[in-house]
Amino acid sequence: MSDAIPFDATQFLYPFIAPSSARSTPENAALLRDLSESAVAKMRASATLRETSTARCRQAVDAAAAAMAARFERGGRLFVFGNGGSSTDAECVASLFTGPPWGHPLPARALVDDSAVLTAISNDVSFDLVFSRQLIAHGKAGDIALGLSTSGNSRNLLTAFEEASARQMLTIGIAGYSGGEMSRSPHVQHCLVVDADSVHRIQETQAALSYALWSAVQGRDTRLGWR
Amino acid sequence: MEVQPRATDADRAAGNGVDGVDGVHGVDGVHGVGGVADDAVDSADALAVAALALSRRFAAGGTMWCVAPEWPEHARHVAVEFVHPVIVGKRALPAVSVGTPTLVATMRTLVRTGDVVLMMSTPECPAASDVLRRARAWGATTIWLQVGGSQDAGDLDDLGDHVIQVSTDDEARHDGRLVLHYHVLWELTHVCFEHGGIQLDVGRDTPADECVDDVCITCSDSGRLGEVIDIDESGITRVRTARGVEIVDTSIVADVGPGALLLIHAGTAIAEVR
Repeated sequence: MSDAIPFDATQFLYPFIAPSSARSTPENAALLRDLSESAVAKMRASATLRETSTARCRQAVDAAAAAMAARFERGGRLFVFGNGGSSTDAECVASLFTGPPWGHPLPARALVDDSAVLTAISNDVSFDLVFSRQLIAHGKAGDIALGLSTSGNSRNLLTAFEEASARQMLTIGIAGYSGGEMSRSPHVQHCLVVDADSVHRIQETQAALSYALWSAVQGRDTRLGWR
Repeated sequence: MEVQPRATDADRAAGNGVDGVDGVHGVDGVHGVGGVADDAVDSADALAVAALALSRRFAAGGTMWCVAPEWPEHARHVAVEFVHPVIVGKRALPAVSVGTPTLVATMRTLVRTGDVVLMMSTPECPAASDVLRRARAWGATTIWLQVGGSQDAGDLDDLGDHVIQVSTDDEARHDGRLVLHYHVLWELTHVCFEHGGIQLDVGRDTPADECVDDVCITCSDSGRLGEVIDIDESGITRVRTARGVEIVDTSIVADVGPGALLLIHAGTAIAEVR
């Protein structure tokens, strides 16, 4: 018999491989209870912060979205950047614009997606210029620079905003804590701030704000993208 | 599991009414406190069990391989959380994102018995299923964070040791809810490390493929997964299982080649698993 069998049909032969690791035992029941309670508390805190921040930033999101839509309508492109976890959040934002669940695909790129470029600039010049050097190469008046930083103080973001501003790009920052230098920079035209002091909760809410921003761009009655 | 649910209806009602935010859900697609709180209640217990299993694997020297075939940026985010924690003083833990186009070919060279595979994908992602299935033969414990998808997750639960449904809503991978889940997994893993008993528990945990006394009487009666390494001219087949490299009789399964996934029983491959 050489017939291929569906995976679940094999279960009767080895029922013991079902989640056996970390089963609840009298010794770890208290730990598992603590862990679960901790998870619920963190998820509720995240949900609350998301709601309050989304409500508080609503006007700022709408204003930034209107400015973005106007750029997209005239053929502008979006460049998104950040460091560490925020760099992957930047990639996530770029993929939301290029491959949206609904609405119109729009041109967006994360400036962290090419390790050759990142290491070349960092090695040859400075990590502080890792995004601004790319904007020198790619950024044009009418394009959009969107940077995410939980502290609001990342040097390479601040230099990128300065470069973008000099090139007449639209500049949008999403920061945490009290907004840091990004909220005070004359080169950041729209700054959304998640007023919290946990990096994790800030990142989750920055994702929610980015999503709200994208949603508001799509919701505007303008001719977006190639139609 | 014996963890009691702690979220009562009253808790949920309280969560729904936080700071009178009802009625300001003005931005399309951003979900209310109630919806997220319910997700939390649903997945908190599963995250707790997964975090304990993960911390035991780390404590025993395992590596966590993070994969998200459809959205590789999330795999990178998880890896950086563990390797370079944002909270000063937390230990760095070995997590790696794998984002190559040839996931299985890459991972089979890297994953060792006792490691963990963290999968993030839609429930019906073929690349995810392929990796999860083979992870058993590689001896890895699997954690699967599912987002979106139309398929009933219940049909696929057997593919992962710890299956956690983040949301059936595809937007959860963009709006912070998937990020929240792996942030909480990281946070709970460190709670486990700070809990005094975790080191003592290491020896008690068993890789997913090994016998657990109360259900498996004799290993000779078990079926195990193995991945074919190679077959020589005389038909001798070397197979990789969670226990290592084994010689297996493949005479009753036709035309299997390197990479084939086999169900092995008493030294004999009795079926190919696809």
